[in-house]
Amino acid sequence: MNNQHIFRDFDKVMEALKGDVLLMASLTRQNLERAMRSLLERDIDLARTVIADDSDVDDLERKIDQSGMEILVRFHPVASDLRLVITSMKMAHNLERISDHAVNIAKRSKKICKASPLEEAALTEPLYSLADKLLRDALMAYTDANSELGEGLKLRDKELDRLHKQMIASLSARLEDSNGRSENLLHLIFVARSIERIGDLAVNIGEDAVFLGEARDIRHEHRKQPPTIE
Amino acid sequence: MHDILNRPATEPQTGSSIIVEDLVFCYGSSPALKNISLEIPANGVTAFIGPSGCGKSTLLRCINRMNDEIPGTRITHGSIHVGGIDIYQKSVDVVKLRRDVGMVFQKSNPFPRSIYENVAYGLRLRGETNKSILDQAVQESLQAAALWDEVKDRLQESALGLSGGQQQRLCIARTIAVKPLIVLMDEPCSALDPIATSKVEELIWNLKEDYTFVIVTHSMAQAARVSDKTAFFYMGELIESGDTGKLFTNPTHKKTEDYISGRFG
Repeated sequence: MNNQHIFRDFDKVMEALKGDVLLMASLTRQNLERAMRSLLERDIDLARTVIADDSDVDDLERKIDQSGMEILVRFHPVASDLRLVITSMKMAHNLERISDHAVNIAKRSKKICKASPLEEAALTEPLYSLADKLLRDALMAYTDANSELGEGLKLRDKELDRLHKQMIASLSARLEDSNGRSENLLHLIFVARSIERIGDLAVNIGEDAVFLGEARDIRHEHRKQPPTIE
Repeated sequence: MHDILNRPATEPQTGSSIIVEDLVFCYGSSPALKNISLEIPANGVTAFIGPSGCGKSTLLRCINRMNDEIPGTRITHGSIHVGGIDIYQKSVDVVKLRRDVGMVFQKSNPFPRSIYENVAYGLRLRGETNKSILDQAVQESLQAAALWDEVKDRLQESALGLSGGQQQRLCIARTIAVKPLIVLMDEPCSALDPIATSKVEELIWNLKEDYTFVIVTHSMAQAARVSDKTAFFYMGELIESGDTGKLFTNPTHKKTEDYISGRFG
């Protein structure tokens, strides 16, 4: 898409759409980072900021959907333009869900912060670090229409799933001898669950980036594989 | 004499495939079509798209030898087969060819006669005089063209009194009355409003089981809506052809992408 469109306004609205998606991605990642920092640094004010800022992400989701529909109606885009509009609208939906998970983490963090310090909170750090890398690369795959990067996320998410399972097992074991900390440990289990779901949503964005780059739909491919006989 | 074409009028209708092989067509000494090879499947709709002067209408007119009427034009290489017959063989009867490969033009061109006579015209030309056969053919053709309900009470009125959209559907009824195998359409909706356009597109969609349609259109949206296959031409060359869904979501060639997405030039 190096050439200019004959109708210049088309290029402007497409750039604006992409700009809104990138802004939404940046706000979402910031919300997630702040939610995790509020948990790890026991900062209730930061958790409150995350909860309040989520409305900006919601507003952007509505704006992107509205712009996408207007572009479809006004310009009837085709080929890579059509894929960019569709992918952007799907991106907005996935980002909104990620920001909702950030809000969930912030809400749990607020509750955890009100009790005495919970050393197990640090267990979420490697999980978050991996999920954030997946999210960062998913966003890069969208920005650059990089199919290879997008397609690789599914495999990398398996490591996140493994870490998540490990953490749940560890926290569940501690629940049995929690000494009144069970409620906070349960909050932590839900935080871990949110981080794991963020990894899944990053994979979704990666799949959409493959569609954007190569018009290839790789969703649910594991179901298409014929059963193997051993 | 070859006749694809040499089939009784009562024979059940079915479309016919078109195979264009390495075709070079010249206006004088300058080639308007350069080594075009294309297979157009039977019983489907194939759209030709491309900027003005790209050769799409020229190729369309080659398929029923309409270009024969233009002085100084000639095919210098290649062939076109319709239903397995090379239509440029000397033995082909061009009049019969045009009966089997009908054409609908950009501007509707009803004859200054009654609605009935417009549809019956081709059959009368073929020598049909039996009134009940003509009546039946007129009714069936107008029904197939989704025009019967609108004109059944005024069949003897002048066709020129119909609206633009009705006139175009009348021309389609006139074309299919002689039971062609292939219907060629050169921008058939360019002069019609959106409702009339939708009616013609619906008609094409409904009739494609019985006929092979080839449609030249400047409307990308129309090509995307109505066709199964699309071929993109540029400066006399066929750049890309294939399934319409694929071509409009993921074209292979950059030139195709630039044209259909409005980035040409």
